[in-house]
Formats: sequence, structure tokens, C-alpha cells
Amino acid sequence: MDLLRHIPPRIFPFDTEISVPAESVSLKNGIPLFLINAGTEDIMRMEFIFRAGLVKEYLPLLATSTNMMLTEGSENYSSEELKSVLDFYGIFLSLSVEKDTAGLTVYFLNKHIEKVLELIREVLFRPVFPEKELNLLMKKRLARFKVAREKVQHLAMDQFFESVFGPHHPYGRQVFEKDFNGMCPSLLADFHAKFYTPEKMAVIISGRIHEQTVAYSEKYFGNMRSKEIYIEDPKNVIKGADQRKKHIEKAGAVQTAFRIGSATINKRHSDYPGLKFLNVLLGGYFGSRLMKNIREEKGLTYGIHSFVSSLDLAGYKVISTEAGKKNRELVADEIYKEIGLLQKNPVGNDELEVVRNYMSGEMIRMFDGPFATAESFKAVWEFGLDFNYFIRLMNTIRTITPDEIIRLAITYYNIDDLYEITSG
Amino acid sequence: MIHFSRFSLDNGLRVIVHEDRSTPLVAMNILYDVGSKDEDPAMTGLAHLFEHLMYCGSANIPEYDLPLQLAGGENNAFTNNDVTDYYLTIPAGNIETGFWLESDRMLEPGFSQKKFDIQKNVVIEEFKQRYLNQPYGDVMLLLRPLAYTIHPYRWPTIGMDVSHLENLKLDHAVGFFHSYYTTDNAVLTLTGNIKPEVAYDLAVKWFGPIPRRPVTIRKLPQEPAQSEGKTHTVEKNVPYDALYKTWHMGGRSSKDYYSLDLITDLLAGGESGRLYNRLVREKNLFSEINAYITSDIDPGLIILSGKLMKGINIDKAENAVNDVINELKDTTLTDNELEKVKNKFESSTVLSNTSILNKALNLSMYELMGDPDLINREVDSFRAIDRSIVRDTAIRYLRPENCSTLYYMSARIV
Repeated sequence: MDLLRHIPPRIFPFDTEISVPAESVSLKNGIPLFLINAGTEDIMRMEFIFRAGLVKEYLPLLATSTNMMLTEGSENYSSEELKSVLDFYGIFLSLSVEKDTAGLTVYFLNKHIEKVLELIREVLFRPVFPEKELNLLMKKRLARFKVAREKVQHLAMDQFFESVFGPHHPYGRQVFEKDFNGMCPSLLADFHAKFYTPEKMAVIISGRIHEQTVAYSEKYFGNMRSKEIYIEDPKNVIKGADQRKKHIEKAGAVQTAFRIGSATINKRHSDYPGLKFLNVLLGGYFGSRLMKNIREEKGLTYGIHSFVSSLDLAGYKVISTEAGKKNRELVADEIYKEIGLLQKNPVGNDELEVVRNYMSGEMIRMFDGPFATAESFKAVWEFGLDFNYFIRLMNTIRTITPDEIIRLAITYYNIDDLYEITSG
Repeated sequence: MIHFSRFSLDNGLRVIVHEDRSTPLVAMNILYDVGSKDEDPAMTGLAHLFEHLMYCGSANIPEYDLPLQLAGGENNAFTNNDVTDYYLTIPAGNIETGFWLESDRMLEPGFSQKKFDIQKNVVIEEFKQRYLNQPYGDVMLLLRPLAYTIHPYRWPTIGMDVSHLENLKLDHAVGFFHSYYTTDNAVLTLTGNIKPEVAYDLAVKWFGPIPRRPVTIRKLPQEPAQSEGKTHTVEKNVPYDALYKTWHMGGRSSKDYYSLDLITDLLAGGESGRLYNRLVREKNLFSEINAYITSDIDPGLIILSGKLMKGINIDKAENAVNDVINELKDTTLTDNELEKVKNKFESSTVLSNTSILNKALNLSMYELMGDPDLINREVDSFRAIDRSIVRDTAIRYLRPENCSTLYYMSARIV
């Protein structure tokens, strides 16, 4: 039988079943644990989350410095000892600070669970912020900062956040060289005491979970009490800049970086799943309008992407690319042209079908295995949402109409509202 | 333990299948045994450009991405000095779409002059974005030709120079395909939710009819042993001085491979490594410092890179690096330190095996080296290294005559 290569194989439906895989347990003192038990290897992931992100800082660099100093010395271990013992047990520890949350994630072989929890308690709740280590950290960070400021992508992104959220709000505030002299151990200890407290912690545990996990967590974390209860008093308000276009000159650059976008709704808004869909269509996958036009038809860039991101107090959308300096006007015009088309012309069924199926495939990847599921869980949990969000998203992916896409494009991509930040 | 089945089709295509029922997806990996080392030295960058051209449709299918996205799939690819690798993940029920797409472009790609020109521009923008428009972005463009005199590892995968890309013609790409994209020059690996017998039937159906074409026999010049140390100094518009040192080593299958991997872990395995402890933490000479091996199939490199703290003299910094290197040749290694890097290697191997894509790529690479079961023996190979092997290996490789040093200086007045 001849093989008919021009005829595609049949495509079978592949909807993912979204169930609630996280089991929830509370320790004696109320610390919530969320357990996602699955996987083929004897390895676990634990993520410890605090509301200690950039939004909480009252000085630039405070949230990140406090987080990065957690592994630089504790009551019972020096910085050097901590690094060495973490490596000795084969533990992968990463610290992280986002705009709203901060914390750390560890991956480790199950057999070491008790040692891991003992070390994490040291790191999270008994740091001592030694001055010598802090000085070294600030020197290293300043060096990284100065290298980053050589990159047009960073210059454009930093300015983008400032324009969208304002220079005084922690979401938008830029960092300057002078800020690296402003940190001292007592400031970090103060921030730590306010925000890294047991009653503000949540733990997401995933992998082939060791049977003693809850018992050990109780042993190491269940008896802790918070030293002080800090009542927050947020003073900063989000206020975007009036100037919509801004260019940051970078001598010697061979490309211009673009960041075009604005503040928008976040995950709690009922339009958010539809906005996600629109974003994929515009610039969220390889076959997107922007990628097809600006990369695949015109060869103007190595890549162009659009993102929609959710923060606690707002959301933002941004189109991001780098292109040759001489094509700056052309690239910007083409981006606005593509947005305009989505506001005017209904999306055809074929393209709609591609985006529906692509996004359904992405949903499967978001729940493929315990670690991916843990990240998806966090992505809704931190907004006070549950897995129903994903069910709503799935329904939107299946049923969104061309008219609804036009409505969303008009409502959320008003070109006059967009900031156009370029650097190069 | 990663179980797998292995078979070959009549046209020489090698197929490996590892079934993992815990995922609803299948990963499909096609590794072509061709990389930038196979390029004409006057036309570098072609292997990587060709990877882009493989996405411009094929003989019977006008577009690659569209049908894959319709089937819920996602894909990507990379090119390095040795290989070109294409991979996708797709819901298990639609894996046949992957077979259909990949077999058709192995049969014959479908790029036109217009698409060739566009992708050439895309790759030139990639060259600018990643190598020219970044501080320190051109390091590999400088370090490789310093270390290698004749082996094609002397240029990076992106190409030696933008002009090489600009001068490439459509015919070069067509010739490249016929020379290297052949059934017996590729490894097809499937991991995830697929039974070996299903994979076998689909491979026979879609890849079986592709005729075997003669593959161009590789004849690469072998790099002669380096007999004296080399240095090169550049001044660039960057904020800090940087130091790069590289030593020649054997290839991926050579007996010292794991020992040198372990040595770079001792030096730079995270913030408990010796380089960090001595040169960043204690002496504040560098703001960051790293060391790794290139994992090339032909004789590769051990690479050390560090950015200096402001105001530190580079000779002083280099002497301090040399002291740390020379300590490896003494007997200062404790059992505890050795155990530490072995434990870290073990957990990183287990972590890597939680991903069907990683398993697919690793199985393919080990098949290329002759034995996919090496994936199950990595940790044992690493564990077998003792203190005397470390010392002996350091003495044999980390010699000044075997070393090339690049001084990447800031042109700015501090």
C-alpha cells in the first residue's frame, strides 16, 4: 500500500482532565502544606512561599537582599558550611523573589528528607545576616547590575515597568548604583522579622512524596510561633507615566529592544482567560500573528513574543522583541498593524482551531508530572483561586468566539494606552 | 533504571523506545549526526541555519508547525558543534502526527529561495542579538580559535563571522541536506506514553520507505597536542575585566571524561566549590567564577571563566586561579569533598530523569556514542573515581603548556 504523505494522520481529541490533585494538610500551628503525590523517581520538590516579594520592600533591593542572604549564615551554620552541607546531601536549592512573593525551592532525594527539613528551618527562620557576607553579596550584585545595564533588553524592561507602574511603586521602581550602598544587616533582619514568619508561610510539596513528610514537617516547623505580628500599611499607589513613548539611547548597540504594553487585569478578573487566548493569538506561540509577520515573513528579528502576566495588585501585558536599529519604525508599525487587525477582523475558524488545540496541548504540559502540577497549583493559589480557574480557562479555550476576541482586543489593546519603550 | 528497546530499520535508521506510563505525553527526538564541525571553514554557520530551514515545510507538507499545533504538540531544536537535534512533545494519542511530520522532512525539506533568504536574516539577527549585542557575548568567537588551530571546533555554532552567513547560497543548503540528513546518520528516540511495538510499527510505516542515501564520510583534521601555553588580550567596552582559561581534554568517550567532569565540579560545583570559596568568598578577587567541560564528542575543552572585581589586577587574579588549580595536583582532597560532588551528580541525574525530553535526548546521545545503556551507568562511572585518579588527571591535563588564556579587558577608565 502506498503511503499518502500529503494526508495528515487523524487527530484525536486530547482534552486534559483537570482534577484537584493537591491534598491539603495543616500543621499544629496552622502552616498549610499542599501535597501533590506522583512521579516515577525517588525525588521530591518542596517550595516554601512567603508574601515577601518586591511589593513589600520599603527600600530598593531590600526584598531581594534579604532573600539572597538566607543561605549566607544561620545560628548554627556559617555561610560556607551551609553551602557545603547542602551540596553534600545533593540538594538543589534556589532562592527566588518575585513582585509579590518570595521564598525558596528545593529538589532532593527522598532519603535525605529529614536533613533537608532541618537545614531549611535554619535557612528560613534562623538567618543571622553576617555583615561580611552582606558586603560581598552587594559587591557581586553591583557587578551583575552593571553588566545587565549594558544590555538593551534590561534597559528597556526596567523602563517599561517604571512607565507602567510608576517610579515610586515597588512594581515599577528602578534600581540605581547608589542603592547598593544602602543595605545593612539590621535592615535585613527587620524585613525578615516582618515577612518571613511561620504564620505567613505556605509549603507546596510534590514528587513521589516520602511517607514521613507530614510528620517531619510537624517536627521541624509545627511548633514555631511568630515573634511579632506586623500590620502592613501600604502607602504606594500605582500610577503610570503620562509619557507613552520613551527611547533609551545605548551607544554602540547593533539592535533595538522593544517593550510595548501596559497595565491590565489580573487572574481574578473574568476576562482574564479570554485575554490569555488573545495573547497567544497575537504573540504567544510560534505560529502567532507577530511571529509570522515579523520573523517568518520579514526576517526582521530572531524572535517576537507577547506575554500577559498577573500580579497581586494589577496585571500587565507586554510585547517584546529585538531587531536591527534601522528597522525600528517598521517593527513598531507592524506590531500596531497586527493589533489593529485583531480589533477589526474576525479571526477565521482555521486559525481559531490551531490556537484552541495548541493551548489545550499546553494545558496537558502544565499538569504533566508532579513538579509541573505544583507550579500550576501555585499560580492559582497565590491569587486566592483554585483549580476552577483552569476549568474556566479550558472552557474559554474550547468556546471563545471571533466576536468575543474583537471585544477583548478593543477593550484591552487600545493602542493609545500602550507604552512604547525602546532601547538601542 | 531506564529500560529501553532498540532496533534498526532496513535503511539504517536507529530507533530507541523508553516507555513511561506516568505521563499523558510522548517525546520524540531526532538526532542527526551533523553539526558545525562538518562545515566548510569558509562557510561556517550553515548547520545551524539549516536547522531553521527544516521548519519551512517539507516535500508533502506545506508547513511544519501548523499541523503539530493542531495535534496539541510543541517542538524545538538545537544545533551544536557535533549534532543537530529536533524534539517535540505531543499528547500520546496523536504521536502519529509526529512520525508523519518528521519522516517527511527527513525525506525532503521544502524551503524555497524566499524562505531561505528570510531565515538567513533571522539567523543574522540571532548572531547580533546573542553574540554581538551582549557584553562578553563574543567570548567564544575569540576563545575557540585561540585554543584550536585546525580542528573545526575553532568556530562556534553560530558561525565564525556574520559575513559567512551573508554569503551562504540556497545551493549550499541543498547540498548540506543531501550530504548529512540521511536515514543511517540519524537516531530516532521515543519516550513517554508509547509501547515499543506501536513505536516500531509507526517507524516502519513512516520512516521505513525513506531510501538510504550515501552519507558524506567525515574526515576531520585532528588537533595536534598543544606544546606551549597561549595568550590573547582584547580590550572591549565592558564594565569589568574578565579572565578565560581553557585546557584541551579528550572526547566524550575518553576514559578521563568523568574524572574531568568531577574536577570541574570540585572547582565550581555551586557556591561550595573551591574557586568560589577561595577567590570570591575569601579573597574578593572575582564577582563570579565558573568552570565546566564542553562535553564534545571529539577532543573538547575544560573552560574556566571569571569576572574580576573592580580594581583587581588581572595578573594577581590569574595567579590566584593557578594556585587553586595546582592544589588539585597535591593531596588536599578529603573523602568528604569527593563524596559531596558524587552525591550532587547522583541527584542531578535522578532529577534529569524526571523529564521525558531529557531522557530522549540522553538516550539519543548515548546511542550515537554506541551504547544507550550508558544512561544507566553514568552514576557508577562517576562513583568509581577516587582521590588518586583526581590527582593524576589534574596533573596530566591542567598543565600550563596545555592552556590558552584570554584576557578580556575593560576599555573603560575606572
